[in-house]
Amino acid sequence: MSIFTPTNQIRLTNVAVVRMKRAGKRFEIACYKNKVVGWRSGVEKDLDEVLQTHSVFVNVSKGQVAKKEDLVSAFGTDDQTEICKQILTKGEVQVSDKERHTQLEQMFRDIATIVADKCVNPETKRPYTVILIERAMKDIHYSVKANKSTKQQALEVIKQLKANMKIERAHMRLRFVLPVGEGKKLKEKLKPLIKVIETEDYGQQLEIVCLIDPGCFREIDEMIKKETKGKGTLEVLNLKDVEEGDETLE
Amino acid sequence: MVLSSLDKMIQLQRNTANIRNICVLAHVDHGSEEYLINLIDSPGHVDFSSEVSTAVRICDGCIIVVDAVEGVCPQTQAVLRQAWLENIRPVLVINKLDRLIVELKFTPQEAYSHLKNILEQINALTGTLFTSKVLEERAERDTDCQVNPSSEQGEQVYDWSSGLENTDDSHLYFSPDQGNVVFTSAIDGWGFGIEHFAKIYSQKIGIKKEVLLKTLWGDYYINMKAKKIMKVDQAKGKKPLFVQLILENIWSLYDAVLKKDKEKIDKIVTSLGLKIGAREARHSDPKVQINAICSQWLPISHAVLAMVCQKLPSPLDITAERVERLMCAGSQMFDSLPPETQALKAAFMNCGSEDTAPVIIFVSKMFAVDAKALPQNKPRPLTQEEIAQRRERARQRHAEKLMVAAVQVAVEPTQDGSALETKPKVESRGGEQQAESMAPKAVPEGENKEECFIAFARVFSGVAQRGKKMFVLGPKYSPVEFLNRVPLGFSTPADELPPVPHMACCALENLYLLMGRELEELEEVPPGNVLGIGGLQDFVLKSATLCSSPSCPPFIPLNFEATPIVRVAVEPKHPSEMPQLVKGMKLLNQADPCVQILIQETGEHVLVTAGEVHLQRCLDDLKERFAKIQISVSEPIIPFRETITKPPKVDMVNEEIGKQQKVAVIHQTKEDQSKIPEGIQVDPDGQITISTPNKLATLSVRAMPLPEEVTQILEENSDLIRSIEQFTSSLNEGRNTQVIHQKTQEKIWEFKGKLEQHLTGRKWRNIVDQIWSFGPRKCGPNILVNKSEDFQNSVWPGPVSKASKETTKYRDLGNSIVSGFQLATLSGPMCEEPLMGVCFVLEKWDLSKFDDQGGSDKQNQEQSILGKEVQKAGEKHSSGAESQELQDGCPERFEKHTAQKGETSLSDCYGPLSGQLIATMKEACRYALHVKPQRLMAAMYTCDIMATGDVLGRVYAVLSKREGRVLQEEMKEGTDMFIIKAVLPVAESFGFADEIRKRTSGLASPQLVFSHWEIIPSDPFWVPTTEEEYLHFGEKADSENQARKYMNAVRKRKGLCVEEKIVEHAEKQRTLSKNK
Repeated sequence: MSIFTPTNQIRLTNVAVVRMKRAGKRFEIACYKNKVVGWRSGVEKDLDEVLQTHSVFVNVSKGQVAKKEDLVSAFGTDDQTEICKQILTKGEVQVSDKERHTQLEQMFRDIATIVADKCVNPETKRPYTVILIERAMKDIHYSVKANKSTKQQALEVIKQLKANMKIERAHMRLRFVLPVGEGKKLKEKLKPLIKVIETEDYGQQLEIVCLIDPGCFREIDEMIKKETKGKGTLEVLNLKDVEEGDETLE
Repeated sequence: MVLSSLDKMIQLQRNTANIRNICVLAHVDHGSEEYLINLIDSPGHVDFSSEVSTAVRICDGCIIVVDAVEGVCPQTQAVLRQAWLENIRPVLVINKLDRLIVELKFTPQEAYSHLKNILEQINALTGTLFTSKVLEERAERDTDCQVNPSSEQGEQVYDWSSGLENTDDSHLYFSPDQGNVVFTSAIDGWGFGIEHFAKIYSQKIGIKKEVLLKTLWGDYYINMKAKKIMKVDQAKGKKPLFVQLILENIWSLYDAVLKKDKEKIDKIVTSLGLKIGAREARHSDPKVQINAICSQWLPISHAVLAMVCQKLPSPLDITAERVERLMCAGSQMFDSLPPETQALKAAFMNCGSEDTAPVIIFVSKMFAVDAKALPQNKPRPLTQEEIAQRRERARQRHAEKLMVAAVQVAVEPTQDGSALETKPKVESRGGEQQAESMAPKAVPEGENKEECFIAFARVFSGVAQRGKKMFVLGPKYSPVEFLNRVPLGFSTPADELPPVPHMACCALENLYLLMGRELEELEEVPPGNVLGIGGLQDFVLKSATLCSSPSCPPFIPLNFEATPIVRVAVEPKHPSEMPQLVKGMKLLNQADPCVQILIQETGEHVLVTAGEVHLQRCLDDLKERFAKIQISVSEPIIPFRETITKPPKVDMVNEEIGKQQKVAVIHQTKEDQSKIPEGIQVDPDGQITISTPNKLATLSVRAMPLPEEVTQILEENSDLIRSIEQFTSSLNEGRNTQVIHQKTQEKIWEFKGKLEQHLTGRKWRNIVDQIWSFGPRKCGPNILVNKSEDFQNSVWPGPVSKASKETTKYRDLGNSIVSGFQLATLSGPMCEEPLMGVCFVLEKWDLSKFDDQGGSDKQNQEQSILGKEVQKAGEKHSSGAESQELQDGCPERFEKHTAQKGETSLSDCYGPLSGQLIATMKEACRYALHVKPQRLMAAMYTCDIMATGDVLGRVYAVLSKREGRVLQEEMKEGTDMFIIKAVLPVAESFGFADEIRKRTSGLASPQLVFSHWEIIPSDPFWVPTTEEEYLHFGEKADSENQARKYMNAVRKRKGLCVEEKIVEHAEKQRTLSKNK
């Protein structure tokens, strides 16, 4: 009879291990699955719902409990519950399936919300709904990266979506007031960055109201500062140029 | 009309053609005269009552069909009401009498009392309609009297009668002896009015027909011996005439056939003098036999159409009352219309077909037709001979085994079988003008549109001729305006007229005769007829009045019994198909009289329909006809607002706060402190002090709830605020070119005065003058107030203060503060929804240390905090920056660079200062909100429900289940209807209309209109803290927190983190993976 027949092979189910290295020793605690992240974010407040047992292990799967003197030398205390709390907040966690799933889903939603917030349909100047963006993201098989910020990924998604549908970042409306002397020269330089020039007014100063892609804002800003030696001004009239209000279709 | 189940409706609607108002033209011989009847069938379901509305407008009379078993249903009420409102004459058909015999197994006596009951119910309904109208008129008269006190006083005082006594209403009611009721069984093909039997029996028994007509319906019996008709004495158990002479005969026939009593059948057949075909007689199914016998004995078509011919008015008999009603929209009196318009009344009444008569056409709806179905697009055989030829050819070909060709031709005649039957008749009899003009034209049109819109219309006066120029009058057109603009007796051609709003000019391109699904081209249409007009889709949206004279008023808008109420968001399955969807929705909007389409600010396309069944049909139409794409339907996104309130005085169990022992170790308000990170100071009165990341500037902000009235004023005046904002910003730029208009100026002061009036009290002193900005988007219902002493800036236009160097700098950085405020108000901390009714006060903000580059003492900062005023903490960042003075490229966002010495490099590792200020201001606002009791505001609908008294309880149940609140309830005078006014959160309204209809079996119909924002009283972050609360709500207390429910739903939708456990109970989760 083999030693690894299914009957005497005990599998750990419903256990998530949190590990921590302290004073050259490895300590582990046995927790329930899908609960550690909740504890860390403060949603779960009942410690007994997180910990399987309050004892600290050296190896959970083998059931080796940590020695008391090791605990004292590493944590300065032998209160197992206290140590468990420390390990819970600072140790390295195995992220369980459901936790990972919800996290990715949340990020996916977040990305879609950001995209929907930043973009419009260039034909109607109306935003797309989040649901539509989500579906489009699924259509292009976008996979969320857990270690990148959602905003960064949203910008990436916009780029990819452009190939599939009519989508564009909502334009920013700016007003420049430029001194006449440098104005003309500067205007030529700014031209490739500007999408639409709405008004142009040559008075005592050159005044331009225009729409730009929000991505170019910094560039334009810097250019104006540099070229006019601080004489030109730049004012944001509207962060995103979107149709407002409801409209009845007729 | 009355269908027994919804399932059947849905099944029926699969075929879209079955649902439309089909207009079938029939030609009837009645006596010596010939009639043309335009029959328009309309669906009975409440959701489609709009179809009834469109049909009723262009009709002169209507046939109301009632199920003999089910009796009066809600739909019947609705239909009767509509007929009443449009002032058209109804006749009644009581159908499905066979069910009384076969299914319910009634005796003739029982059936008689049942029918009598139904008739009484219907007459009662008519009666209530009548009384309510009389009472209304009386009320109007009363108000008139009050307006003119000069009218005779005495009459008014003594007139206690309700007016009902004087008004004769006998002609309104349905009664078989008046000839406006027939009894039918359409499935078995029989039907009769009592006139038919009166004729027969007057010969048989020898009693006068007139007497029989009066007595056949009602409690009379016949004394056979004396040949006398007597009043029934109930005790003697005598049978009424109707039972004895009519019902019993029918019953015995059914009895015989169902029992397969061959002899008896033969006897009946021969006694009735009928001839039954051998095939029918031998048929094993009794239904076939009954049908064969009855359709000869009492043909249904004859009974019904005879009644129609006799009782319903012709277009010539249009009543003056109806004409006036049609021409006067709203409360306008007919007398107040211009004389030219009044003159048109005569034309209506005349209904003349002379050339001089003005042409008046009303388009009641537009319907979409496949372009291929238009007669000019399909060359098809029309005469009998041609069809015969084709058939002949087909037969030959069939004989030659040319299968393919044969199929194609054979299919065609069967498709338009109905048309084939009717048309030759019309042509051969030639009673109507249509006959000669029916020559088809096989003109294939170049344009290949898939859907064509045909206007469903009726000529009220004059002759509609092809190519005639007409004025298209929209519902809002006013003839008075036209007459003002155009001199009297104008003679210019229509094209050169000055533009008048809601009026267009077009030519009648194509005129069609509507024959079921088939269209026949016509050259002209005489008055009183129903027709289809092609080529109007660019001029007419849903309904319109066409007239050859511009002095005609548009007809009053159609009365829709059901208003659109079910809202859903529609999206294409594939995002790239958006344009098709929009185009399809536009077409749908034109094709359906009772649908609304909105594009919301969120980018959602919202479809508003009358009910679930209507919605289903609209979606099907969209998918299969108009857009031809896959679409997905979802609940529309529900907006919320965030706000703060005054701290509550009592807790959730109505105990005074502060007196109770705090219990519950778990529920200590631990979070309140931990939520706010270090570096932010919170005063007990809710003032937040925060510095920018580079510690150069410090802000202190406080949030206060605005009084409700102020929020309302701000909401109403958002346009005004926007213009103020524009003006001030241009002023700040130093351009005084723009001058405010006098009127706007007045409005602004009025607005300011109103604000001052409502913002009273110590807290709000002088605050109106210190308003700096509104938000979000610079015009919303939130206020930023500037209370810092050394820097004044107000939104109100006025004399520009001389901008010293100091203030210029403040102003420029001030823009960043405003931007931060705008961002904060655009998305609140609870669920990133806009704020509403919050006032942020910038208590202190001071950049004086900015100039003292050398002074880098932190004490200054601390001092200022202690002194409850935050000075600007001008901590110099690095000595390196000092030496690098006069740097040119200061990458500040909003700052006007004056190239001053004092301004050195403001950029550091945290980015430009202005950017930091925006972020800091935003954070400050957020935390300021955090320390106040936050609340969610829900959008509310006002909901008007009409319901009968007996379903009132169920209406209330539905309302309270959906968190609605009843505001008032009153009885409608003269009826048994109650009008309930309630408010209902928009978030709970999805499926509300459907539920209320289901629960009340359609007797209550709600109408929802967005009204206002309302604070949800419960705190979304509330947890029980006192012992009582703990006892009352339990440990979790998440059961009935409406606000938290909404907040979490929104957060989840937006992908924000929600305080929700992934797994509730750690022990109870499924742990084995699938492959073990």
